[in-house]
Amino acid sequence: MVDAMLASTGKPIRLEAVTRRWDETVAVDALTVDMAAGSFTALLGPSGCGKSTTLRMVAGLESVSEGRILIDDEDVTTRSPSKRDLSMVFQSYALFPHLSVAENIIFGLKVRRVSRSERDERLQKVADLLGLSQLLERKPGQLSGGQQQRVALGRAIIAEKPICLMDEPLSNLDAKLRHEMRLEIRSLQQQLGFTMIYVTHDQVEAITMADQVVLLNSGRLEQAASPRDLYQKPASPFAARFIGTPPMNLIPASALNKTSGASSLLIGVRPEAMHLQDGGPVSASVRAVEYLGADLLADCEIDGAPFQVRLPARRTVVPGDRIELGFEADALHVFDADTGRRRDDLISEFGALTRS
Amino acid sequence: MTGASPFSYDRLLNTVAAWALALLWILPLAYAVWTAIHPAAYEARFDLLAPLTLENFVKAWQAAPFARYFLNTVLLVTMVLAGQFLLCTLAAYAFARFTFPGRNILFTLVLLQLLVMPDILMVENYKTMRLLDLVDTIPAIALPYVASGFGIFLLRQTFMTIPRELDDAARVEGASALGVLWRVYIPLAKPTYLAYGLISISHHWNNFLWPLIVTNSVETRPVTVGLSVFSAIDSGVEWSVINAATLMTSGPLLIAFLLFQRQFVQSFMRAGIK
Repeated sequence: MVDAMLASTGKPIRLEAVTRRWDETVAVDALTVDMAAGSFTALLGPSGCGKSTTLRMVAGLESVSEGRILIDDEDVTTRSPSKRDLSMVFQSYALFPHLSVAENIIFGLKVRRVSRSERDERLQKVADLLGLSQLLERKPGQLSGGQQQRVALGRAIIAEKPICLMDEPLSNLDAKLRHEMRLEIRSLQQQLGFTMIYVTHDQVEAITMADQVVLLNSGRLEQAASPRDLYQKPASPFAARFIGTPPMNLIPASALNKTSGASSLLIGVRPEAMHLQDGGPVSASVRAVEYLGADLLADCEIDGAPFQVRLPARRTVVPGDRIELGFEADALHVFDADTGRRRDDLISEFGALTRS
Repeated sequence: MTGASPFSYDRLLNTVAAWALALLWILPLAYAVWTAIHPAAYEARFDLLAPLTLENFVKAWQAAPFARYFLNTVLLVTMVLAGQFLLCTLAAYAFARFTFPGRNILFTLVLLQLLVMPDILMVENYKTMRLLDLVDTIPAIALPYVASGFGIFLLRQTFMTIPRELDDAARVEGASALGVLWRVYIPLAKPTYLAYGLISISHHWNNFLWPLIVTNSVETRPVTVGLSVFSAIDSGVEWSVINAATLMTSGPLLIAFLLFQRQFVQSFMRAGIK
């Protein structure tokens, strides 16, 4: 559907031990990530985790304290933003209020002195692609949030840059529009083939859109993996609890199984991975129940450790009940609380323990 | 509910006071207009049916080289304004968006300039102009004013209100630092430029003391100095002609004021923020 004219081929990006410091505070700490050409990478994390700073360093808007940034195997660490051959969509859209929609979209082409005929031709294509043809003469102030978002997208894709950076582009839209734009941005990226880095604090956005999710926590890399791997094999307790709603249950191994002497281990099971099983290995008391329609969310307790379980709504469970639960062995995650790392080597051991 | 009563002493007093002050204020201008458009005989005699005449304007225009004075003033005001726009824009941009060692000290110095009456520096300025061999030239009148602390401050404040992301976006799109200034900051600061331009023009059109000191020939004198030279003639004071000349010289400003009234008032309100 998209002509060859608007298609661009992405370039790979590599961050090598990239660090950003302000006096004493370390915003990004030795971050090393590889992003394949034409892939969609989401930088995910709670606010203040350094994801926007990372994006701005890739853009060249923020200087790098240590480490290197490579685009297409070229070191661009000290290059100015305009020489990195990328485009960017900002959280506030950053549309120029004094320019019309058309002028906003072709701003970069004009700066780079692209001929008028080519500018007009490309503008036509982009406007058609994003459904902006009727709005070209308007000023950004006269557009709705969703339309402004499209103009910002238009400005980012018109130059056919191999890399596109987006900084929480959907956070100012309402839920319905956000869902539409999510699909639209993803399909645009796949059609045009550029490498995308997408900053978000919304795990749903990251999981649904990205090929690779880079999870950051206070400036450090928690895990970089595909959405599936991130959900199924979280590398740390933080990753385990950040991905998935409600978050994964993490309980000290000692609470689950008294015979286990390793007190610094955390056992993780997702609420949706547990099911009622008479005579199951886990027996818990119910403290509160939330009815969600399709299912129930039961707050339970095992030896003082809080615990959530997602149960089918047809089962009636009331606070005070004692329930017995089971789960598949591969739903079990084991983390070392001291190092914060995953201990796959212990899973089978614990799996055997809980089954016995 | 008492509501707004139809008659209130407070309001009455306010209205009366406003009218009285306004009349007092307009009196000199009204008198100037009156004498300028009537023959000299009616200078101190009020008669509604007095004959109207434009002769005073003709006389004044012929008595002194006002055309030359006007040209001088226009050149002067243009020069000052162009210099101020250029220098203040660049300085304000640097102060607003760049970090460099000594920035705060330099900006404090700029602000200090706001506290210094230009008249205090008159002797110093004259010495400088002598040194530059510029005495009795139009650039000599303009030079001391081209770097305006007030202009720098006003533009810096305006630039700082412009969202950082617009700057970032323009830079990602390939604009250089000066390109960003030209394509983003200046267009968005247009109202400030207009307001500041109006203040600057009116101020330098009316400036008198410094041009009086630094000029001494017809080729360089602005209208204000020309007018004072003209009205100081020994052969008796002819109010009707002097007033006609005064109206002539302040005419362009009056017209500009009427055209840009709103921006003019706004600009002074902005100026009050300092």
